[in-house]
Amino acid sequence: MTNANTSTVASAAEDAALSYPSPLKEFWQGFSYNKGAVAGLIFMSIVLLCAILAPLVAPYSPIEQYRDHLLTPPAWLDGGSTAFLLGTDELGRDILSRLIYGARLSLFIGLCSVLLALIPGVVLGLLAAFFPKVLGGVIMRVMDIMMALPSLLLAVAIMAILGPGLMNAMIAIATVSLPAYVRLTRASAMTELNRDYVTASRVSGAGLFRLMFNTVLPNCMAPLIVHATMSFSSAILEIAALGFLGLGVQPPTPEWGTMLASARDYIERAWWVVSLPGLTILLSVLAINLMGDGLRDALDPKLKRAA
Amino acid sequence: MLSFIFRRLGLLIPTFFGITLLTFGLIRMIPGDPVEVMVGERTLDPQMHADAMHRLGLDKPLYAQYIDYISNLLHGNLGESLVTKSSVWGEFKTLFPATLELALAAMLFAVVFGLLAGVTAAIKRGSILDHGVMGISLTGFSMPIFWWGLILIMFFSVKLGWTPVSGRLDLAYDITPRTGFMLIDTWLAEAADPAANAGAFKDALMHLILPAIVLGTIPLAVIARMTRSSMLEVLREDYVRTARAKGLSPARVIFVHTLRNALIPVLTVIGLQVGTLMGGAVLTETIFSWPGIGKWLIDAISRRDYPVVQNGILIVATLVIVTNFIVDILYGVANPRIRHAK
Repeated sequence: MTNANTSTVASAAEDAALSYPSPLKEFWQGFSYNKGAVAGLIFMSIVLLCAILAPLVAPYSPIEQYRDHLLTPPAWLDGGSTAFLLGTDELGRDILSRLIYGARLSLFIGLCSVLLALIPGVVLGLLAAFFPKVLGGVIMRVMDIMMALPSLLLAVAIMAILGPGLMNAMIAIATVSLPAYVRLTRASAMTELNRDYVTASRVSGAGLFRLMFNTVLPNCMAPLIVHATMSFSSAILEIAALGFLGLGVQPPTPEWGTMLASARDYIERAWWVVSLPGLTILLSVLAINLMGDGLRDALDPKLKRAA
Repeated sequence: MLSFIFRRLGLLIPTFFGITLLTFGLIRMIPGDPVEVMVGERTLDPQMHADAMHRLGLDKPLYAQYIDYISNLLHGNLGESLVTKSSVWGEFKTLFPATLELALAAMLFAVVFGLLAGVTAAIKRGSILDHGVMGISLTGFSMPIFWWGLILIMFFSVKLGWTPVSGRLDLAYDITPRTGFMLIDTWLAEAADPAANAGAFKDALMHLILPAIVLGTIPLAVIARMTRSSMLEVLREDYVRTARAKGLSPARVIFVHTLRNALIPVLTVIGLQVGTLMGGAVLTETIFSWPGIGKWLIDAISRRDYPVVQNGILIVATLVIVTNFIVDILYGVANPRIRHAK
């Protein structure tokens, strides 16, 4: 990694026109050095495209039931038909279409819950770093309490209060991932606060708001972006887990975890009903985690050694 | 050392009360009032409603209710289930060994294979083996374990018929629970009456294998990754080079000089997996119909059995913070730098 960077810097210097690569180019070089990350990026781009263009890409409606085609196997098996590429489920719904529409939901909930946790997490973390005595202590104690509960259990408890549903699942998952953002922001903001540029900015009369969001925050972004990627993948897992437990998005809405909830009964007769939604979850989560590794290498070389 | 323990204890107690606030709030945040929830669909005349509110102490101001709740807790009274009418603590006590047995088996699986994989990957750094191990462990880390359980059942139970699909023991056996740990109970029963209970231990073991693998998968991946990076760190140390230069055998260098020191961060990670295990138990027990506390809590939620949900969560959370506390203390014992840090 370091070798790659020095060699690119060297070759850029030979070009003479460019003494430094642009930040974007530098980022891409760090990122694309990690082959797994590029593979993850390609896979997630395809999933994202499918999700956005779902009505165009999906062959059928995700909730339309074809009663003459219950539990049709995928096209490449005996009894399969090219009309239903990945087969149909117990109600005769096209699995491929449900997976494509499911991508929409999983990515949307994942993204929303990341934002719902990131924004308050950053604000609370900055507040805790700027006012370490009383406010910071209170915030960190509350976060400790939230961290003491196993995350899935906390999410389940929140769903028990709020009741099942899409919006509530987002809130539950965001709440569960909040403490990690607060801790991370606070930790990196505390290191930045001791730097000279912060003092300089303070002396030249920057207000609290400006200090927090304009001076300190941009320098804490690298670990936050990496963590946001990782928590996006765990959000997808948690939505699916809630769906599987019957607490998440409710049927007939096509959601990957919810699709698995009813699949247990067909384990002996129709492996595709069980395998395909789970495989989709696994591949998406794996792709995002691979991307997260690449982002970490590119944005934050310091973190490379950490677990 | 003592002051270190007290400092940590000082952090533990406010956390515990914070959790009681959370579980206390849980019931009060449910839309509608608890009495209506308990009665369900039936309509209730206002007088009976008021009586019920009074009997449950719900007509008092909130702070008084909270004081009541805490004083009940401190007297060991965790309320009773709305459905079975038995005490929450009693139900917990009978179900907990099942979860503990499962969690211990999962941890054993994760630690043995995680260490093995991590050490191998670190020694053969950069080889195909290393990439393979790390690829598999990242996959394990990304695994939706509820699906993983279904896949294993589909393959090993349905297709090959090697392992049972669900539960802890075949219904043909009638084992009196003594310790609550099925492996020990069946062992004892087989020893006492070999004719009636032949094969009970093996049956219990076969029931345990798949759930333990499923629950252990994510900890396994975390331990393998952590062991690898920690080993690589230590392998660069001067004393490892010295050990090699002295002419010690490679095995001795790896296992005695390197692994021992590399284990410290790994142990912390193992301690931190307790929370993951409790969360994972909810899913694993649901898939395998394992009669433990994870399944108990999920069933309670779907039956709206709020006292069980409320205090079940309280017990589990307390368990997790106490375990983390013990891990902290042990870590302080092992590493003086932690002990003396402010």
